[in-house]
Formats: sequence, C-alpha cells, structure tokens
Amino acid sequence: MFDKTLGRWLDATGPHADIVLSSRIRLARNVAGVNFPSRALPADQERVIDGVEGALQNLSIFAPDRFLRSKRLTPVQTGFLVERHLASLEFAAEGMSRAIFVGQDEMLSVMVNEEDHLRLQTISSGLDFGPALKEVQSLDEVLGAGLGYAFSGQYGFLTACPTNLGTGMRASVLIHLPGLALTREIEKILRGALQVGLAVRGLYGEGSETRGNLFQISNQVTLGKSEEEIVEVLTRIATDVVGFERKARDYLLEKLRLEIEDKVLRADAVLRAARVLTGDEATNLLGVLRLGVTTGLIPSPSTRLINELMILCRPANLQVYHDQELTPPERDAVRAELVRARLATA
Amino acid sequence: MKQPDSEAPEPKTTPVPCNECGERPAEVRVTEVDKHGKSVERRLCAECARSRGITAQGAAKVAVAEVLLELKNKIKDVDRKLVCPNCRLTYADFQATTRLGCPECYNAFIERLLPVIKRIHGAVKHTGRAPAADRGTATRSFEVQRLRRELSAAIEAENYEQAAAVRDRIRKAGGEEAQ
Repeated sequence: MFDKTLGRWLDATGPHADIVLSSRIRLARNVAGVNFPSRALPADQERVIDGVEGALQNLSIFAPDRFLRSKRLTPVQTGFLVERHLASLEFAAEGMSRAIFVGQDEMLSVMVNEEDHLRLQTISSGLDFGPALKEVQSLDEVLGAGLGYAFSGQYGFLTACPTNLGTGMRASVLIHLPGLALTREIEKILRGALQVGLAVRGLYGEGSETRGNLFQISNQVTLGKSEEEIVEVLTRIATDVVGFERKARDYLLEKLRLEIEDKVLRADAVLRAARVLTGDEATNLLGVLRLGVTTGLIPSPSTRLINELMILCRPANLQVYHDQELTPPERDAVRAELVRARLATA
Repeated sequence: MKQPDSEAPEPKTTPVPCNECGERPAEVRVTEVDKHGKSVERRLCAECARSRGITAQGAAKVAVAEVLLELKNKIKDVDRKLVCPNCRLTYADFQATTRLGCPECYNAFIERLLPVIKRIHGAVKHTGRAPAADRGTATRSFEVQRLRRELSAAIEAENYEQAAAVRDRIRKAGGEEAQ
C-alpha cells in the first residue's frame, strides 16, 4: 500500500482534466443496531471493522494487505492516506479503532469508524461521475447486504450528523482555477456556487486553505434529492465553472500574454533550480506550471506529472517516498530534489 | 453559473412569463453569462429555476454551518432532560457536538430535529436509494459490473484473447453477456 504508485485519478485522462483534477463521491453509512462510532464501545467498534472486512472478503477486488487498521498505522502513514484523499482529517484523529480499505488503483476505498461507521469513496479523473457512481453504489449494496444498514424509509440512511442524512452522499470536484484567480473573478464565481446550495472548500476539505488555486466544490443537501439529481446539478455547475475558467484563460492569453508567460516560466525555472522548497511554495508553483502546460504555453511536463507531484510533495508522502522520517527543513531539501529530478526526466 | 439576485424580488403585479418554459410566471431573476462572456439577465419560474439547481429567494440558503452554530448557542434546560432511550445521549449533547449517538436518536429527538433537518436540506423525505436486501445478488452484480468494465477495456485495447476470458468469467458470475 505505502509505495510509490499513485492513484489512477491523477492520470489526467478524464473529461476537462486540464481544469478538473477529480470527481469524488462519498457515501456515509451506519450499521443498524450499533451506536455511531463516537458513542460505540471499543468492542462494537471492532465488531464493525470485522464486519466490513468479512463483507469485503467475498469480492475479487479485496486484497488483505490493503485493509489497514488504524492502530497499526504510524502517524506518517495516516498522513499519507489523508494527503492522497483516501482518509479524512477526522480519520487521523486518535482515540478510536478505525480501519480503511483501499481498492486497486486507489479508485475505491472504505473508511471504517470515522464520523459514521462507513464512508465509501470513489475518485476518478476529470469531471465524470457516471461510472464512479455506479461502482460505489454497487459496492454499497454488497456492504449493506452484508452488514445491515441503519435506514429509514422516511429519512433515508441514518447518519451521525443530520447534515449527511438521506442519501448520505457527498459528491465533489477538485478544480484548478488559476485563470479566475488571476482575473479576480474567483470570488464572484464561487459565491454563485454557494448560492445554488453548493459548498466550496480548499484542497483538503473543511477548514483547509486554498493553495495552488485548487478548490473543492460539493453538494450540501443530501436529503430530498436522488443520488443522480445531486450528481447532475454538481456536474452542471462544475461545467459552468470550467467554462468561466476557460474564458478567463483565453482573456489572459490574449491581453496579458507576456505577464502570464513570465509567471509560468519563472515558476518553471524555480522548480527546476530550487534547493529548498516548502510545501506551500511547491504547491503554488506547481499550480502556475499546471496553468502553463494546460494552456500550451510550455510543452512539458505532462499534466499527470504535475498532479502527481502535488501529492508527492506533501509532507507524509515525501517521507513514505523516501522511506524515512524527515524534519521540516530536511523535507524542504528532499522536496526540491524530488521536483528537480522528476522535471529533469519529464 | 446562474446567480439569483437575492435582493430583487419579482414584482407580483405584472406577471412576466418564464424565459425558459414561456408558460409559468417568472419568480426568480438570474444573471447568466452567455457564450460571448456577457452577463444577461433572465427570468425563470420556480420550477425551471429548481430544475437548474437554483433556489428561489425566500427559500434562501442558510449556510449549514450557521444552522449548526445556532444549535450550540441555544441549549436550554429542557434539552438536558430529553434523552435517547438507547444510547443515553441528551438532546443538549447533540446540540453541543452536532453529532447524534445512534440511529435510535432520530426517533427520540425527531420533533426537535425536524426543523433542523428542514433548514439544512429544505426537505424531510428521502427520495434516493434504499439498501439492497440480498447479499448474494449484490456480490454477483458488483463482480459482473467490474468484469464488464474489464471487458470493455480489453476490447478497447484489442486484446481479444483476454476479452474472451473475461466474457467467460462474466457468464460464470451470472451476467447475461455478451457478444
């Protein structure tokens, strides 16, 4: 699990992958007759973990070495999972028996005993929820039939927080909006998303900052709409935002080409030359480089490599990649070295 | 992106037909950006607005965080006496943490929860999927679906030998396939 291969969603092959990094669906589920994790006895927490492991065992995608119990994970390994968007910050919090199953290519995953007993997740490249929704629903049926979900005909899937009640579904897109940021239209556009009932957050979810002009847009309402409707509205709004980003990029290339070229080439030069790179600096410069590549201002590296570097440059991934614990100053040096090496061979 | 102009109610005296369906009276003004990048004002009826994911004003969205914050700030003595018979969580505990203790809490607190749910979701009735009942069928259909994807990938890669093998596995797994 903790190796150098990255999730397939980073490969930049999906629709609008130049602007939309990923489409993600998360389903919150709980087991009937068991208290929600925060109020469950340790024995019950373990029982849910065992139940999930048992239900997954019948599936060909299940690999026992990818079923990880939190008690056996180091903080760096947990951080690694968070940075790869497989686990949440809440999952990383101590004091409970948790587990996570990570499917092949990191497309499907199941977190156990986070806020809810189960969080099923799927991530795919670009703006595309279709196949991913079917797949996660299909996995949901297997787990539901095996475990017996807490469900009410009136209120749907019962969740620890009423904000997830009903479908228990949160669909989100991770979207790169440097054009709108540079033309200073970003706030207006994101406010528009809020007005239609969507939520906008930074790269790592609730409370995280927006670095590298990466934003997450997701649905807030989970009750009273079908899964398909939720995905449809989000897709439509995300498509609109993509359109605005394209217009902003066209405008910038037409009116401010020199300034943008300068910005992109400077970012490229710094990334290729720097001996010390902080995480924030790397993310921001990679964001600028991404704008340069996806608008054709520079021919390389590939969008895929930039996506991958954005994850590999995060602190825990860096340490797993180098197979040793590193202090922050050591990380900054190792990060610069990694970026230089990867860009040199791209 | 369509943005409702929050402070601009449609005058009720002169009904304007909806720009979308042309039938029902317009209730919401939205600003859209056309393909030339110019903003255009359009007027939509509630139904057309809703089908585009726009909430009519009046039903203005309250940020979810705001609803939860309000819960925390309004804990009363009676809330401490309202207890879930299953997990012993009080309604006041829920207000403080915004987390319920068990599925049964929904029954125990439903009268207090309904207005909260309504404000968060604008609805109180689930219209999405229900869980599957039968484990065997669910497992089979998961496997068949996964194999179908493998099959199309193999065909796309013109790896027909593998495609044939995958097709046999689909048949074995109970899928109806496939030519």
